[in-house]
Order: sequence, then structure tokens, then C-alpha cells
Amino acid sequence: MSAWLDPSTWLDGKGSTPADVERALGCDDPGPRELAALLSPAAHPFLESMAQRARALTRRRFGRTISMYAPLYLANYCTNGCAYCGFASDRVQPRRRLEPPEVEEELAMLKEMGFEEVLLLTGERTSHAGFDYLLESVSLAARQFHAVGVEAFPMTAREYALLAEAGCSGVTLYQETYDPRRYDLLHRWGPKKDYLDRLDAPARAMEAGMRTVGLGFLLGLSDPVFDAVCLLRHAGHLRRNHWKSGITLSFPRLRPQAGNFTSTFPVDEAWLARLVFAVRIVLPDVPLLLSTRERPEFRDGMAGLGISKMSAGSRTTVGGYGGAEPATEGQFQVGDKRSVPEICAMLRNRGLAPVFKNWDSVFRDAEAGGHG
Amino acid sequence: MSRASGEEAMERKVKVPDEWIVGGHRFSSRLLMGTGKFQDAETMVGAVMASGAQIVTVALRRVGRIPQEDDMLGPLQELGGITLMPNTSGARNASEAIRAARLGRELCGSPFVKVEIHPDPHHLMPDPIETFEAARVLAAEGFVVMPYMPADPVLAKRLEDVGCASLMPLGSAIGSGRGLATAGMLRFILRDARIPVIVDAGLRSPSEAAAALEMGCDAVLVNSAVAASGDPIAMAAAFAQAVVAGRNAHRAGLMPRGDGAAMATSPLTAFLSVEGQ
Repeated sequence: MSAWLDPSTWLDGKGSTPADVERALGCDDPGPRELAALLSPAAHPFLESMAQRARALTRRRFGRTISMYAPLYLANYCTNGCAYCGFASDRVQPRRRLEPPEVEEELAMLKEMGFEEVLLLTGERTSHAGFDYLLESVSLAARQFHAVGVEAFPMTAREYALLAEAGCSGVTLYQETYDPRRYDLLHRWGPKKDYLDRLDAPARAMEAGMRTVGLGFLLGLSDPVFDAVCLLRHAGHLRRNHWKSGITLSFPRLRPQAGNFTSTFPVDEAWLARLVFAVRIVLPDVPLLLSTRERPEFRDGMAGLGISKMSAGSRTTVGGYGGAEPATEGQFQVGDKRSVPEICAMLRNRGLAPVFKNWDSVFRDAEAGGHG
Repeated sequence: MSRASGEEAMERKVKVPDEWIVGGHRFSSRLLMGTGKFQDAETMVGAVMASGAQIVTVALRRVGRIPQEDDMLGPLQELGGITLMPNTSGARNASEAIRAARLGRELCGSPFVKVEIHPDPHHLMPDPIETFEAARVLAAEGFVVMPYMPADPVLAKRLEDVGCASLMPLGSAIGSGRGLATAGMLRFILRDARIPVIVDAGLRSPSEAAAALEMGCDAVLVNSAVAASGDPIAMAAAFAQAVVAGRNAHRAGLMPRGDGAAMATSPLTAFLSVEGQ
């Protein structure tokens, strides 16, 4: 494991005491050591004070607003064997991709729903849905949306530069787990087996001039404290080396899905909440995302409590926004099925403004696309 | 001075309008407002009204080409009596800021632009090099350029020289609420500035706004301090009062700071009085 990532210094096994937690909460410049303390069992009694702190920090930085985005699944072809994923290549289910006119239709529907930021998703790079297909889809999306993100497969710096040039402002790529042994076990076959290639991809995206890179790990695959400390180290490494790119963090949690994969490291809502609070405390200025994987009550409670960005009205099937019954199964089960107006009403009731446009396409072109 | 004449003097002073001029435009309010981070447009408009602000800045990235529900421009344009100052927040370099400024002029119909370039998306510190370049180009194009800048006295003179209408040094990191952490540098800037100086960013409390005006700043700009407070409208009103108090204190002239030393019984200059005796 690369030295810059290795979390062992902060997880020396001696466990944290309540005094360590108090020190972490009183610390001016919290880092991995403090994160480890805030995630230790000793911090459980501090949940409420951590929530208070998380809300205050979130409000200071992001105000009383929640940024809104929507995922758009372009294709579910995949050659990887991720044990936990509904799109894995050994799952028997209809496979398809959206043809460009269908992409435009789905984009138009999201636009109709009020979105200005869209996240385009595919599985692994395949002949059906490879880089050129993705690039074309980004161009289509960039015509209508101010912010276009991509969550697909690791690419080369040159490819990231081309995406940026086409109007892609963000790349999301979760490491799934930072534990190399668990990673190897869970990613049974396919290009995704290459742990280091995936680990290095966010840096390549930033090198290519990508504005924002979304990081995360899938809760439930491995020891979440280990993964969380690695995530913080990864974020810190990227910040030191690519100071002009932003980072966002997500907290996807394994839910029951097509593969019937049973988590060996289940994480409950209280722990997930504490993770979000702890990350907010150590990273006060990073947008933290929560998707519709989680149930409505949990999402409502977490809005503004560390979380500053949410998806709404999401469909995780290919062609899901169209009127027709979805022909494919979703990548994961949607926990919060409420419509966009329902989510907006909920946020407003909680004194939060849903913000759809928080970016402008005017900031594209100039330097991005690797020409800078 | 009799009580009556004292009151007359006060009245005379009040009658002289205490205005400040930026880019040829005259303003009486010395509080500028940001419009981000509010829970809804109603609160934002309420806070702007309570603040008495005449210059209001709007992030271009929040302004839609077609009015939408979360659009901030519509409600502000309905207010009237307000000069909109689009800002380029989100720009990473001069060319992005320049394009954003041109678009902002079109959308807001205002010659004012707050040049805001922060390539590091985390601490959002302004980039002095790109800010200088954007300010130079935009000033030459006739914009009323208001650069958000580090509290650097040399950069201040450089920005003045390329035709900026004001200087907007930061009090401390944006959104940090650390107040006038740059006070020492701000004093250098104030001492030599030919154009208005507006403290932008970092203020948390009305007393800090008052302190900035007492120090001689022409105005302050606040956003987080109001929007993220317990009651944004009441806080906007409190800032308005503080700014007036600070300005009046500056005009009145603070008493000299005591150095704490008592008058020496044997003055060092006693020898001077013996001359010619």
C-alpha cells in the first residue's frame, strides 16, 4: 500500500478513549488521527454533539442550501465481476444502452424536472458503451446542462482531458474499498481488478483539468474505519498535488440488490450518520453527498447535517426516466422514491433551499480540457 | 461649547451627505450584501431590505438564462433602488472570469462586476495573479471593477493603477467568520488608497463591521454572517446599524490610544525649557 495512503499510523489498534474523542472535537485542525477517534466506539456517546458541530460547519460553508443533481444511467453492459453489484457480468438480466436520441430524451426529462446538474453512469468500458459513446453522451448533456458529471470506469489522462473539453465538469470514481485484499476478493474478474489503476484515476482526472472529482467507498465491503481514514488520506493527497480541483465525497451504503450479496461489514444508519458528521468535522469545506439509496426519513434528517448535496427523483435503471416500464434492473434499490417536488417541499420545510443551478457553463472551455 | 451649539454642530454634520462614490456612482449605504446561502428568496430579499444595502452581489453561477424557481435575480430586480453587482465566483482563472463578467453584464444589466477568482475550491482564497489580469482587461472594457483580493498593499496599488473602481480585500478567509484577521495589512491599504476600500469576506459579527468602518474602510460586504445567522433579517438590520455607528465613529475621530505610561515626573525634554534663561 502506498505510503501516502497507508492508514496504519492512525489505526494502531490501541483504540480511542473518550478523552481522545474530546481532544478530536476540540482540535483546531483535525486530521486522520481525529477522524479515527470520532469513528471509534468511544465516540458513540458524542453523536449528538457531533451532529450539532456538523450542522454548524455545514451552514457556515454552504449556508441554508442543498445542491441538487440527478443520475442518468446510460448503459448496464459490464465485464467486471463485482460481487456486490447489480450490473456485474454474471447477473442474468437484459443489457442495453441508450442510443443518442434516447439519451437526449432522458436529458430532456431531467431538464423538465428542473435539474441543471446531471451525472452520467455506465458500467465497465465495453464495445457497447466505451469511451467514444461516453464522450458523445457528455457532449449531448453539455448542450443542455450547466454541470455534467461522469461515473464510469478509470480512464487515461488524455481521455479525461477530452471529456473535460466536451463539457464534463466532474468525475466520480469510488475505490469501493481501500483494503487491497478485500478489493481483490470482491472484484472477481474484469479490468476493475486493477486496484492501483483505479486508485490513481482521480489524480489523472485532476491532471487533465477536471474541476471536481468525487470520491467514496462502498460501506459494507470492508472495515469502514479503515476505509474512512484511507479516504481522508486519498483526499488530502489529491489536494496537495492538484490544488485547482475540488473534491466531493459520497457515502454509498450497500443495500439489498440483484446480486443478493450479503455484507460482512454491515453499517447501520447511526454509524453512517456518525461517519458523515465526523467527515464534516475534519473536512469542513468539502461537499458531502447523499443519494436516494437511503430511506426518506434518514435523508430528511441528514440534509444540512453534514450533507450539502442530494439527488432526487432518481432512477437507477437504463432508460428509467422515460414513461415505459424499465426493461432492466437497477444498479441498486432506490430507498427514497419521492418526486423532485416532494423532496424540495421537504427541504423547504426544514429551512433549506434546494439549489439546482450552482454552476455555469460559462466556466467551461477557457482552460479546461488539458490545455491549461 | 453650549448644549445648543453642540446640537447645531451635530445637525450641520448630518446635513452634509455622507456619501461615497465608486466608479462615478454615488451611494449612501456602506453595507454591501451577498445573496448566497439563504434558505429561500423571501428571506434573502427580507435581509437585503433590512440591510439597506444599495449594492448587492449575485453569483453568476446561480443565475439561470431562463428564470427558474431557485433563481435569485428575479426577486432582486423587483426590489428597485438596488445596483446589482454580478460576481465571477467559480472562475479559476482570468479568462473564465472575463467571460463570466461579460455574461453578467448582459444578464444583470449592470456595469459593476465583482471579480472573484479562487482556483483552490477549498479555502477559496483569491488568486492575485489571475485577479490582476482579469481586472486589467475588464477595466479597459469599461466595467466598474471591484476585485475581491488578498489583503496585500502592493497588489492594491497595482489594481488601482489598472483602473479598478474599488478594492475589496478580505478580512479573513471567506465564510470563516474570523473577522479582521488582516487588520494590519488593511491599514497599509487604507493609508495609500485613492479608491474606496471595502472589506469583503470573513466578517462574523456587526462589531467587526463597525471596526472596519472605524478603521477607515469605506464599506463592508457580508453574506455568510447574515445568511448563516440565527435570524438573517434581524442580523442584516444589526449590521446596518453597526456600519452606521462605525462610520460615525470614524468621522468623529477616535481618541488616541493610551500607551499606559503615566507622565514622567522628570520629563526627558525638561532641558529644552532652560534655553535662553
